[in-house]
Amino acid sequence: MSDVRSPVSASPETSNDQGRRQAALLRLSTNIAAAGTESEICEAVVQGLYDESLGYDFVAVLLVDEATGDRVLTASVGWQEAPPSLRMQPGKGLSELPLLDGELHYTPQVTQASRYLPTRNEGSEVDVPIQINKKLVGVLVVESNRPHAFASDDLEILRAAAIQAGIAIGRVRLLSAERQRADEQEALLATLADLSAQLKLSTLLQAVLERAVALLKVSHGELAIYEPEKQELVVVASQKVGKKDTTGVRMKLGEGAMGQVAQTRKPLLIPNYEEWAGQSPQYTQVEFQAVMVAPLLMGGQLVGAIAVMDKDPNRQFGEDDLRLLNMFAPQAAVAIENARLFTAAQHQRQYFEELVQNSPVAIVTLDVNHDVVSCNPAFQQLYGYSEEEVAGRNLDDLITTEATRMEAVGYTKQALDRDTVKVISQRQRKDGTLVDVEVLGVPVIVDGEELGLMALYHDITELLEARKEAEAANTAKSQFLANMSHELRTPLNAIIGYSEMLYEEVAETDQGELSDDLQKIRGAGQHLLSLINDILDLSKIEAGKMELVTEDFDVRATIDEVTTTVQPLVEKNDNRLDIRCDDHLGTMHSDPTKVRQMLLNLLSNASKFTDGGTITLEAVRRTGANGGADILLFKVSDSGIGMTVEQMKKLFEAFSQAEASTTRKYGGTGLGLAITRHFCRLMGGDVTVESKPGVGSTFTIELPATFEGPGMIETDAEPAPN
Amino acid sequence: MPKILLVEDNEMNRDMLSRRLQRKGYEVAIAVDGLQGVEMGRSGDYDLILMDMSLPELDGWEATRRLRTEPEAGAIPIIALTAHAMAGDREKALEAGCDDYDTKPIELQRLLSKMEALLASE
Repeated sequence: MSDVRSPVSASPETSNDQGRRQAALLRLSTNIAAAGTESEICEAVVQGLYDESLGYDFVAVLLVDEATGDRVLTASVGWQEAPPSLRMQPGKGLSELPLLDGELHYTPQVTQASRYLPTRNEGSEVDVPIQINKKLVGVLVVESNRPHAFASDDLEILRAAAIQAGIAIGRVRLLSAERQRADEQEALLATLADLSAQLKLSTLLQAVLERAVALLKVSHGELAIYEPEKQELVVVASQKVGKKDTTGVRMKLGEGAMGQVAQTRKPLLIPNYEEWAGQSPQYTQVEFQAVMVAPLLMGGQLVGAIAVMDKDPNRQFGEDDLRLLNMFAPQAAVAIENARLFTAAQHQRQYFEELVQNSPVAIVTLDVNHDVVSCNPAFQQLYGYSEEEVAGRNLDDLITTEATRMEAVGYTKQALDRDTVKVISQRQRKDGTLVDVEVLGVPVIVDGEELGLMALYHDITELLEARKEAEAANTAKSQFLANMSHELRTPLNAIIGYSEMLYEEVAETDQGELSDDLQKIRGAGQHLLSLINDILDLSKIEAGKMELVTEDFDVRATIDEVTTTVQPLVEKNDNRLDIRCDDHLGTMHSDPTKVRQMLLNLLSNASKFTDGGTITLEAVRRTGANGGADILLFKVSDSGIGMTVEQMKKLFEAFSQAEASTTRKYGGTGLGLAITRHFCRLMGGDVTVESKPGVGSTFTIELPATFEGPGMIETDAEPAPN
Repeated sequence: MPKILLVEDNEMNRDMLSRRLQRKGYEVAIAVDGLQGVEMGRSGDYDLILMDMSLPELDGWEATRRLRTEPEAGAIPIIALTAHAMAGDREKALEAGCDDYDTKPIELQRLLSKMEALLASE
């Protein structure tokens, strides 16, 4: 490598040559002055110096790429093979010399070893630094095929050309830097304007990204939001990345360039993406080479990442690029955070709006003047009014009739007075038809201020219909049971009647053995009849058609009648019946048939569930409390199998004996006690039980001595005691 | 010997009740539907009428109402017999003009006491 600092060779030029050189230099200056860009300036320099009068064989300008330090062949002439924008690593060749010391270097005899551009084996070369304010920005390289071809005035011309080029390039750069700053200002202002315009987040971020891409003069860009709950980035804005839109692509922390930046929260510059090891499998078929990614941070928290890429393999990102990209980061981060807060609020609002919109219940809101503010589709469907038709109008004017108007106004006022309304009523549709509705009115109070009220209307037409149907079905059931028992009793009538008749005849003619059998037929018939009667009674009770026939009757006589009837049953299980009655039971005014039936029920139960024991019937008349009517107590105790607490719980329910096996063993419908309780309650009293398994049970009927009930009482399945 | 008119469409019930009443010493005439009951009853030849309520041609209530308008038969005691033990049956029978009411199946003793009470009050 030769290092020759001063021109030494003799100059062969004439004064004519000198003149032409001056002219060439002038032309060069004019051309440089007219050039508007760095490459135009360089082109003007090389074209101006590649002049016959100067006799140089190769002229080139190398400019230093500030981002990468590469020497970029910006303009060249005389060397056909030179590829445009050829890049060279720093540090090698003669052209490096001026960049080391800022001096002109003349190499009269070029050797192979000293060459950087391997085109010639011999000749001479001058390398002149190009400077902007003492800063080395490039090299003017001039070569000749001949050794020692440059005279001292050649060097002066080249020095002058390099100075001019430096000034011109400096001016252009200054201009472009100013323009760049203006662009940046503009982009920032535009972004801030977007932010305040409350655009949709995706639109906003797309705009931010597009601006970044434009300002950085890159081919691609991508912006992703970080979702902390999933620890994933999701691409929300994309500028020509990949063959299709990458919006919606998700990346885990650490996945790909963006994922890495999200993880490290530091910018990342990748010179050649294709060769980069950290590629995401989602980004393998890409057109770009250089990649730059910056994290989007908000108060130290990661909110996303922004990336720019370029398909030009020579485009290398540097500090300036990163500075520009970072300029957008805070804006994007603020936008994302704002949007997040806004979206959360909006989401909440939408959620409630959806609830109202999709509610099958008609909902209408009123202001404090009873005027409609809004209504949901169900309201529109129920009443046939559109929202426009009702908005601002008085609700009660719209959907009431003369009959319901006053009532509705009252409810509206009630709700506005902070009292919830819940009623069943009728309202009028737009077409004049009436609809059965359940009305719910609630005041709307926000921060203690009454804003109006909300009314809900539930169409209960179907409900009422269903209730009617259910009632009809129940009536049909009761009717069926009544008819059925009638149909069953008619043949039974004959069975019992004929057996009774035959029994009488047989008794008269003294045919002893037949009379026993006839008694059995009659007994079985009577049993069947009592079962049917129970079912009929219960169906009447359930249908609310149980009738009370009240009259005065002697209590003691009734008890005697019952005990006579039940005696055979008592004796059947070797039981003994013990009667303990007050001397002064007196008369009762009630339904004697039912009193009889209840006592029979209890006594026959006691007989059934007791074996070889004692059954006690106790009757007491007690003076009513506070001068009220006297009370009659009938207590039936046995020493039978008894019951557990569990069994007692279900005792008075229809069809429940202790268990199914009980029914098989002891017979009966399981209706007796249910009927007894219903009767008791119908007659203003009640029945209670005490029992211990293995010890026995005591049932107590308590009835008012005088019951003046209506002839027929509407009863529920389980009427409350009077 | 009291003369009883039994208006009853069911053959077995008719047969059974009439035989049992005859054995108790009553003279029993029989009508098999409401129309025949009114036809026979209007003669006034009977001391008491046992009237089933669910009858063909003319039901017991209507037959009773018609008999009550007859000059000869208007005062004959009538006992309604019915298998319908549903609410209101008793009132309905009394409204139609019956003097008493008994439910089927017949408890002979109970019926006899009701009959005797009405016959004695005449």
